[in-house]
Amino acid sequence: MPVASMQQLAREAFARRQTAGVAVMRDAALITRAAADMAARFRAGGKLVVFGGGAAGTDAAHVAVEFMHPVIVGKAALPAVALSNDAATVAAIGSGDGPDETFAHQVRHWAGPADIAMGVCRDGRCSSVARALQTAHELGLLTVALTGALTGTASPAQALPAADHLIAVASADPRLVKEVHVTTYHLLWELVHVFLDQAGEGLT
Amino acid sequence: MGVRDEPARDGPRHAGLRGLYPFLYEAPPGGTGMEPAVFAGAARSSEEKAMQIVRLRQEMAELSCERIADCAEEMAARFAEGARLFTFGNGGSSTDAQEVATTFLSPCAGDGLPLPALSLTSDVAVVTALSNDVSFDVVFARQLAALGRAGDIALGLSTSGGSANVVRAFEEASRRGMLTVGLAGGQGGRLTELAETGVLDHLFVVPSSSVHRIQETQTTVYHVLWELVQHALEPWHRDGEAA
Repeated sequence: MPVASMQQLAREAFARRQTAGVAVMRDAALITRAAADMAARFRAGGKLVVFGGGAAGTDAAHVAVEFMHPVIVGKAALPAVALSNDAATVAAIGSGDGPDETFAHQVRHWAGPADIAMGVCRDGRCSSVARALQTAHELGLLTVALTGALTGTASPAQALPAADHLIAVASADPRLVKEVHVTTYHLLWELVHVFLDQAGEGLT
Repeated sequence: MGVRDEPARDGPRHAGLRGLYPFLYEAPPGGTGMEPAVFAGAARSSEEKAMQIVRLRQEMAELSCERIADCAEEMAARFAEGARLFTFGNGGSSTDAQEVATTFLSPCAGDGLPLPALSLTSDVAVVTALSNDVSFDVVFARQLAALGRAGDIALGLSTSGGSANVVRAFEEASRRGMLTVGLAGGQGGRLTELAETGVLDHLFVVPSSSVHRIQETQTTVYHVLWELVQHALEPWHRDGEAA
């Protein structure tokens, strides 16, 4: 493999990130509105339950630790639980009621109407995430979805009607989608604290 | 010069915000009683941060594409010889360690060649046993001592570059003849010293002081590494299928 070609591939791979990165700026308003609603739930005593389909389980874990143990000293710990961390539970539900029920079952028995459900899916085809969001919506939770490109419906909202807030990354590359999701949930965390502070303190 | 986490600024670039997002300047739906200015400031801050990460990725590409290519070549050569990849990190970086492992082991169908990879952060029994009985500093090093062998690959992430258990893991991996790959941020911390003394074969430092922006850029770095490793292994994979 010629070295120059590998370097060129690396440059091209970075360049492919540009468009999706810039799109986050366009989604700033969506992200801000989601964070405002999340802050209202936290203020009222709600907790965050977060789940991700497949590899997005790593994002669920990241979101939970972000809220529970903020990287910025002095920010309050907020209650958050990732539903994909317990391999025994995930496997038990999967082999019992089927993998699509993995998160819906936990939402039903662990969450309440005051809570927030966040589902992460790198495409529009995570049925376990969609079903959990639907269950959460029916129970009265605030529902937030981070997804990849949603296709096959007239509008993204039709693909996930149970999501109060839907932030979709217009890319078919699951790795690129993940990178934008990380930025998105970092911003969500930061803005939640901004809104909890109300006065706008905490903007860095 | 690193991209710093700068305060949100008012300026001509934001003049169009009201036109783009008029609702930000109105009472929020549901009437939570927040000041519209708080909404506008928050959205503007998010735009700034989104722009920071775009710029930081560009800067990282300029700084490290050549070295990422070299690292991927070496990783691919090791995989072709039967290497396994072990990954580790703390907190948010532990989720990155898991992401790296699952990316290599279980790429989406048709997306790449599955390669043996294991995250050392996933087994809570092992992690808590070592932390409780010995020290948190050894949670990764002890696992590498038991599982790793010469020729394997150790990849660790630390936003500060100062995590003691990540440093100890690289020292153990190096002693065992493993290829060592580090991802850090800021000035690189202790990992920079390890690179200077040859304990670390490859080190990628994201030039930012923001933990969030560092993590976001590291995500891109390991995804690009994965992509290049897959590319470098294509001829080897084809030969294997022909045999």
